[in-house]
Amino acid sequence: MKNANSDVLIIGGGIQGCSTAYNLARQGVSVTVLEKDWVSRHASGVNAGGVRVLGRDVAEVELSKASMELWHGLDDELDADTGFRARSLINIAADENDMETLRKREALMHGLDYHHEKMIDQQELRERLPHVAPHCVGGVVSEQDGYAIPYQSTLAFRRAAERFGAKFVEGVAAQRIRKIGQQWLVETNQGRFEAEHLVNCSGAWADQIAVKIGDNVPLTHSAPMLMITTRMPHFATPVVGAVSRPLSFKQFENGTVLIGGGAKGFADRENNRTRLDYAKMAVGARNAVEFFPIMATASVNRMWAGLEAYMPDNLPVIGGSVNADNAWHAFGFSAHGFQMGPIVGQVMAELITTGRSRFDLNKFRIDRFERKVL
Amino acid sequence: MNIYSPTDTPEFNSGQSYDIAIIGAGPAGMSAAVTAAEAGASVVVLDDKPKAGGQIYRNVTNSPLTQPELLGEDYLKGAALVEAFEKSSTEHIHAANVWHVGDNGEVLFSRDGGTQSLTARELIVSGGAMERPFPIPGWHLPGVMSAGSAQVMLKSDGLVRDDAVFVGTGPLLYLIVAQYLRLGVPVKALVDTTPKSAYLDAMAEVGGALSATSMLRKGLLLLNEIRQAGVPVYRFASDLQITGNSAVTGLKFTSGNEGRQLEAEHIFLHQGVIPNLNLTRAMGLEHHWCDQQLCWKPTLNRWGQSSLDTIAVAGDGSGIVGADGASVMGKLAALNQLQRLGQISADSRDQQAQPLFRELERLNKFRRFIDRLYRPIKAHRIPESDDTVVCRCEERTVADLKRGFELGANGPQDLKGMTRCGMGPCQGRQCGHTVSELLAQWRGISVAEVGYYRLRSPMRLLNLTELGQFSRVEPKPSTTGAAS
Repeated sequence: MKNANSDVLIIGGGIQGCSTAYNLARQGVSVTVLEKDWVSRHASGVNAGGVRVLGRDVAEVELSKASMELWHGLDDELDADTGFRARSLINIAADENDMETLRKREALMHGLDYHHEKMIDQQELRERLPHVAPHCVGGVVSEQDGYAIPYQSTLAFRRAAERFGAKFVEGVAAQRIRKIGQQWLVETNQGRFEAEHLVNCSGAWADQIAVKIGDNVPLTHSAPMLMITTRMPHFATPVVGAVSRPLSFKQFENGTVLIGGGAKGFADRENNRTRLDYAKMAVGARNAVEFFPIMATASVNRMWAGLEAYMPDNLPVIGGSVNADNAWHAFGFSAHGFQMGPIVGQVMAELITTGRSRFDLNKFRIDRFERKVL
Repeated sequence: MNIYSPTDTPEFNSGQSYDIAIIGAGPAGMSAAVTAAEAGASVVVLDDKPKAGGQIYRNVTNSPLTQPELLGEDYLKGAALVEAFEKSSTEHIHAANVWHVGDNGEVLFSRDGGTQSLTARELIVSGGAMERPFPIPGWHLPGVMSAGSAQVMLKSDGLVRDDAVFVGTGPLLYLIVAQYLRLGVPVKALVDTTPKSAYLDAMAEVGGALSATSMLRKGLLLLNEIRQAGVPVYRFASDLQITGNSAVTGLKFTSGNEGRQLEAEHIFLHQGVIPNLNLTRAMGLEHHWCDQQLCWKPTLNRWGQSSLDTIAVAGDGSGIVGADGASVMGKLAALNQLQRLGQISADSRDQQAQPLFRELERLNKFRRFIDRLYRPIKAHRIPESDDTVVCRCEERTVADLKRGFELGANGPQDLKGMTRCGMGPCQGRQCGHTVSELLAQWRGISVAEVGYYRLRSPMRLLNLTELGQFSRVEPKPSTTGAAS
């Protein structure tokens, strides 16, 4: 392939890139997505699949709520099976300190007129999660939250985008990026791609693309770890988290239980792979059993980690380049971007086609750290 | 209550390391251990069974049978090796389920309800073989087992099944039937799927070499023994179909141009063995497709050294070599690692290796013959019928996979993501080869180009309690190779 032209060139075939491609293509914009491996290969395909508004940073709540509305109709919109299930999400309070944390959060959220997070007492916690350990004292629930299947969801956006004419090119890495006149030129291992607009959705590699565009960004990368059990008798309907412990799990319809919680392995970005930190996995296992004794005999079937991008404030970069025209960024979601995928695609399409967004994106500027130096 | 803090993270890589850790106490692992321990290395062998011996010499020194000699001389000759192994200074950790081997020399295993870890400078993986999947219609039904599992039941617990139908090809199949008969267990029939053409092809392969002729005779003698015991033998069988809805009721097949049907509650399938890849794949070693043995193999140099230089693979896990070949490979891998550890010179290594290489060459010739003769036919490797189950764990059929392929899943990994085929507890052991070959056929490309699943630790199931309890194993002072 040589000198392939389109209106918009997206670098990165994760959920943000695929959703952006879909939202542009359905408006008749010609889009090409470049993916260095294959679509949904990294964080978008192997994350825990959590679809939650609960516990979001206040800067993200508006976006996250809008995205949640989209999730509830996404299978119809994309004519696909994302595996989305609204099962509610409960963060468990293990003690009174946790309850105090929750009460402060409740005051903050109510002050902002957000009412989607609801505190529950010990009795209600037990009603919703009959197998929870007796020492747990309460929690907070968000009713519309749930989970989806990451690989299927990302692919659903890709397929829908393709139906509107978007092109996906896999196994192609951007090596050199230049702007000549009004055109972005991206040299790859398989020829040159040109477009008027360039979108950086490159996840754990986004800082490298940003630098080529002309923007510095303090991005780091890591490898959040997950494990999944063999099928177990049904014991938990809601997705489960904990207020102050690294624990998160969900039981799927087939009975398997996915256990996460944020423990990180070792990210070997140069070699495109991760190594697991089994000692930290062991801590996660102990936490799961401590909160749910029924899991003591659960059999671990698989363990893995994905390469994920983090910003210092754990908020994503969403918006335009500060140093170049017609270049856009959506990355650095810091291990909670999967749920945001549907809305971020809309936002990026708005920005590219109108230059504006209906959301306040100030907190997500790429140069927000540069302005703070001394 | 166990509250998380960074300080309760167990330390992994502190303390003493072994010179060589060996995974698997079959003929390759035991031979490697004996060779390495004799030279003064500190050696640890991890094995999942209660006693050393591997599959082939399982319980050879403590058989539950009153007359273990009925199992044959190829079984009994393992006793000497097991004894030499037990006498060596090797530390043998039995009943240890290894579930992670890192490229940093870290080995994690489940034992006594907890997880234990150790480190070693060099590693030998001798995890052995598994039976090749036999994906024909109905192979997933209760009542169908592999003939190898039947032999395991026999060797470890003395358990047998009356009136079973044995189906397939390969020396192990005939041997198990003969072992059953010698113990007085009634066998309903042997349905032999070796095609007529295989005998001619195999002879052409070796031009009638003496060892091959004697091997062929050995096989035919077993067949004869089975026939003389009054067991119906159906040769050159094809078009296999296991009948039944919730359990096996029988077997349909064609033999001698005639459609036949047998009633049976127990069917034992076998069409040879292939390397057990879960360990070497999860370790990220390079593999290649072998056309002679129709299987994936770790890519090794002549010492058994893999793409990670500190890790060697020996025995049937490296490609099917048989017990004698495994034993030779184990010695070669140990010699090379002793040299790498500086415990013997390169000259000494090469000198000791010379006769071993010659022996391996001789065995390989003979192996080519067996591979040709008992090559499983395409129809028994690549299922044709849409309803045939490919992935038994997740119950995915040929039709399910075809749908995933048509939706754009080109490789085993995509297909796994799309259909869950290979995601179950066996980690793709039962479907990996079938999926590689199916995709190669659908895409009209080679199996090598299609590739295999990407695997991860744990290499086998472990429960959360085991995972949560950590302890570390270090060489005992008496076994450290401090003198070297």
